[in-house]
Amino acid sequence: MRSGNPALQSSAFTKHLSAVTEGTMTLSGTVNKTGIGLLLIILSAGYTWGNPGMHGMVIPAVIGGLILAMVTIFKPTLGHITVPMYAVVEGIVLGVISMIFEQMYPGIVIQAIFLTFGTLGALLLAYKSGLIKATENFKLGVVAATGGIAILYVINMIMGFFGSSIGVIHSNGMMGILFSGFVVVIAALNLVLDFDFIEEGVEMGAPKYMEWYGAFGLLVTLIWLYLEILRLLAKLQSRR
Amino acid sequence: MENPAVILSLPLILIVVMSLMKMAKKKRSDGKPWFRIEKVEENE
Repeated sequence: MRSGNPALQSSAFTKHLSAVTEGTMTLSGTVNKTGIGLLLIILSAGYTWGNPGMHGMVIPAVIGGLILAMVTIFKPTLGHITVPMYAVVEGIVLGVISMIFEQMYPGIVIQAIFLTFGTLGALLLAYKSGLIKATENFKLGVVAATGGIAILYVINMIMGFFGSSIGVIHSNGMMGILFSGFVVVIAALNLVLDFDFIEEGVEMGAPKYMEWYGAFGLLVTLIWLYLEILRLLAKLQSRR
Repeated sequence: MENPAVILSLPLILIVVMSLMKMAKKKRSDGKPWFRIEKVEENE
C-alpha cells in the first residue's frame, strides 16, 4: 500500500495502465480536477449553510457520500461522474457540521478553513522542497497510524450504539487535545502520501481518468483534515 | 489562552521557513542555487 488513504494504492495504477485511450494523467489535470471538487464542496456547503431546511439531508448525504466513495474506489473510470457528485454531497455534510460549530464557537469555521488550506500549502512546499520525503518507512508509519485511528473511530461508533464512547476522542482535557493534535498531524501527513500517489501516477503514465481518482484522494484527506481541525479548535476554545 | 488558530499556525510557518531554507540550499542542474542573497555594488 502506498498511501494511508485506502483509496490510494499503487496497484490502482497498474490495474488501469492497459486502459489508456484518452491520453495520460497529468499534474495540471489533477490540480484542475481537485479545484473543481473544492469549488463544488464550497458551493454546496455555502448553500446548506444559508438554507437550514437542508439540515435534514445530512444522513442521506452521509450515506450517499459513502456509496459514491465506494463506486469511485472500485470503478475509477466513473470518476468524472462520481467525484463531482461526492464533492456536492460532502459539501452538504460539511455545511451543516460547520454551521453547528459556528453557532457554538463564532469564528471557528473561518479559522479551520484557513488552517486546512494553510496545511495544504505548507505540506505541498515541504514535499516539493524535499523537506518531507515519502519513503517506504514514512508511508508505513502513516498508514499504520491512520489504520489505528480508523479502528478507534469504528470502536467508538459501535460503543455509541450502546450509549457509551471512548472519552479521549471527545474530551477537552489535555489527553483529548493531544489525541486530536495527533490525529490532525496524521491527517496532514496523509496529504504527502496523496502528493506522492499523484506524482507516481503522472510518472507511470496512468490513464486520464485517474486524474479524477487522484483528486478524489486529495478531497477525502482535505475533508478529514478540516473536520479534525474543527474538532481540535472546538476543544481548545471550550477551555477558554 | 491566546487564539488557538494562531498557536496551530506556528508549526505551519516553521514548515514553510524550513522548506524555503532547503530550497535555497538546493542547487540547480547548472550548479547554482535557485536564488541567493548577495551584496549589490554601487552603480551596478
